[in-house]
Amino acid sequence: MNVALAILWKDLVCEWRSRDRVVAMLLFSLLMALVFHFALPDRRPEEMRALAPGLLWTAWIFASLLGLNRSFALELENDALSGLALAPGTRGWIFLGKAAASFVLISLVEVLTAFVFALFFDLDLIQPAARLAGVAALGTLGITCMGTLLAAMAVRTRFREVLLPILLLPALFPVLAGAVDATIAVMEGHPPPFEAIQLLIVIDGVYLVVSFLGFDYILDE
Amino acid sequence: MSTPLFSVIGLEKRFGAVAALRGVDLELPRGGALAILGPNGAGKSTLLRIMAGLAHPSAGRVELEGGKARGASIGYLGHATLLYPELTAHENLVFACRLHRRSDPASRADTLLAEEGLAEVAHRRAGGFSRGMAQRLSIARARVHDPEVLLLDEPFTGLDRRSADRLTERLRELRDAGHALVLVTHDVGQAAALSDEVVILIEGRVQGRHHGVSASGLETAYEAALESRSAARR
Repeated sequence: MNVALAILWKDLVCEWRSRDRVVAMLLFSLLMALVFHFALPDRRPEEMRALAPGLLWTAWIFASLLGLNRSFALELENDALSGLALAPGTRGWIFLGKAAASFVLISLVEVLTAFVFALFFDLDLIQPAARLAGVAALGTLGITCMGTLLAAMAVRTRFREVLLPILLLPALFPVLAGAVDATIAVMEGHPPPFEAIQLLIVIDGVYLVVSFLGFDYILDE
Repeated sequence: MSTPLFSVIGLEKRFGAVAALRGVDLELPRGGALAILGPNGAGKSTLLRIMAGLAHPSAGRVELEGGKARGASIGYLGHATLLYPELTAHENLVFACRLHRRSDPASRADTLLAEEGLAEVAHRRAGGFSRGMAQRLSIARARVHDPEVLLLDEPFTGLDRRSADRLTERLRELRDAGHALVLVTHDVGQAAALSDEVVILIEGRVQGRHHGVSASGLETAYEAALESRSAARR
């Protein structure tokens, strides 16, 4: 557990000093909000509110891809990845530290992006804020667990920027389905459907366990 | 006969159809210093990464005192520094200590920084260090868990003469302090200066073993080994 906490601390300190991941993710999601705004002109407010959950999760997932790719690109500089691989013990703790740092940074970007979407699409996110945060946390957990594992797999390949989305997006279909269903209900002022939350919890659990155990084999050459 | 500290037995590594290592056997006694000398593409770095546990061999094994080699007993200094440029020297070492589950990371980092002559720059970011300073910090990083064996992959790359001399002196001190060293290099002078035994590796095969030879004697042997391989290829 100490190893995971050390990696979480290291990633957050490095990000605080460089700010390259958060800024890139944030700019990307702001641009996506703008693209959606211009790609869907002259819509009635209620139409936009109906589309907003899907658009919001699309922006969050694509911004996450940027952040997850960058998370391991940082480890390639000076071959720091080898330094991590040399640590004794279960490498699952390395996964957990990297995933926790990505979770924190992606969550931060999601909060800021949600405010922009609220402005652009005239959404009331204050009322359902607590429930929305819960749904976002469950969805983001699935994204960061599988994303961290696949980013570690892709990082040593020549086409890592392309490979990560190709590998990760299909794995995120169930996360997206559950998260969008739950977000639609929450934004309409209802509690999230049990089936959607159940799906998210099961997928998160599976991705967490698979990634924790699978990480032992990922860092070897 | 006593068990060697570190043994490499029948090591082979293939990347697809390309054989990088073809049955390499090495032994390193406790406190010994071994240099692996060879041209670019000889398989030196691959061999060292397998010894460090960073890569799996296709065949053969690496043993530490007759058992499976463990990361806790091995310190590794690669081509790159393994450092985070955004972290200070002290933070880099504290982080490495925590990765290796040291119970006293801050004081261990202070000790290592003092030993490497970096105490005054402890709180400067590693990204602003010269190549020589970064290399000293890397050596400190490789020693956070007080390993019995230090594996050094071309540690003199990019260093100016003064920094290289200082590093040579430092490695001698570490060897005298009881660390076993394995040094990968293509520099005959450094190999002769720092090791008790020099193994010449060419095209993944051991082409010669030399004990206690002078730099000039080693140079002659190395040239002959290279020439012999070229002739065999022709």
